[in-house]
Amino acid sequence: MSRDETGFAEFFQESWDPCLRAVAASTGDVLLAEEQVAEAFARAWVSWRKVTRHPAPRAWVVRTALNAGASRWRRRAHELPLADHDAAAPSRETAMDSVLLTALRRLPARQREVIVLRVFLDLDIETTAMQLAIAPGTVRAHLSRAVTALRNELAQANTTETDPCPTATR
Amino acid sequence: MSDSDQIIDSAELRELRDSFSGVAMPERPRLEAIAARGRAHRRHRRSRAAGMSVAGVVSATALAFAVTSANAPAPGHSTIRTLAPGTIRTTAFKIVKNPNGKTTLTLNPNEFLDPATLQSDLAKYGIPAKVTYGSFCSSEPAPAGFSQVVSLPPREAPVPPQSGMQPTITFNPAALPAGTELSFGFFQLTGGGQQASFALIDTSSYSCTSTAPGPAGPAEGAQLVYGTHPGPARS
Repeated sequence: MSRDETGFAEFFQESWDPCLRAVAASTGDVLLAEEQVAEAFARAWVSWRKVTRHPAPRAWVVRTALNAGASRWRRRAHELPLADHDAAAPSRETAMDSVLLTALRRLPARQREVIVLRVFLDLDIETTAMQLAIAPGTVRAHLSRAVTALRNELAQANTTETDPCPTATR
Repeated sequence: MSDSDQIIDSAELRELRDSFSGVAMPERPRLEAIAARGRAHRRHRRSRAAGMSVAGVVSATALAFAVTSANAPAPGHSTIRTLAPGTIRTTAFKIVKNPNGKTTLTLNPNEFLDPATLQSDLAKYGIPAKVTYGSFCSSEPAPAGFSQVVSLPPREAPVPPQSGMQPTITFNPAALPAGTELSFGFFQLTGGGQQASFALIDTSSYSCTSTAPGPAGPAEGAQLVYGTHPGPARS
């Protein structure tokens, strides 16, 4: 096995799980994320020398996976609607129904990207900023807004749990 | 601790991370499967580059017209939809809607198949399917009626490798039981060749695995092995 092949094998072994979790957190669908991440790693295999020069190879994989997903959805947007097909229910094993994960998926795309890179891939502010081609201050602002939104969603969910039917009358 | 560190350690984000750590993740696929997919991408790129250079020569000779056969993809594109009614052709597969309502899918063993493209193209012809590469989805128990929906070519004697034989699968969407869809799982075989496994799944209850069905194929389903490795065969 060449040095390049060994390097890719190690990267793949160490990075598959964190990349899959990051993409799944963003898309909310583990199976879809699995397919997108596999596609991104295949592209990383093709462009491995370029990827090794990247400041954050895992971020390269995650962004490639998310872009692959976006392309797919763009294609699907032009397709004929098919009743009872596109809305197929996810299996129980892949369902992620945590309040916070649901709230994460509701965030604007940029805030979600910041969370995925900063929280799930543990990138620092500067690398996150470089990845998204925005200023570090903007990353901080997105992160702060995202946390506020998540906090509000959580507070709302807790209120609903405490008083599930506040206006019910007999 | 910086402001950003305080944000990153906020209770909400810790909870987000923790809540996600409990979600079961699919197993990592085999490295060989990823490398095979990468190699297919590379071939795809090269054939596209070759097609574009042919197109350049054609334009340099100032030909004022181009003849594009309805059955041949235009250079420079791997997923060209031909405009013949009822036909979608890409370099990796061809789908033809027949007058009898059935649809045939022909696979090109020498090309990388993009599962998302095949899935969306099948959907256009009324064939709901979950198409995956490197994994396979199934329901337990498998819904009945598979043999009414899918017909594979009859079992054939092994043919020599490199035969280039393109397997054709026929679908009858009208026979698809309500609440079901098809599952196609494609796997790159070690040493070349591809395995395609087919089954019916319950749209509301199924699970997927990166382990390829064994040589006998999935229960209540069918399987094709084609390409340059063992020659077309089915189970």
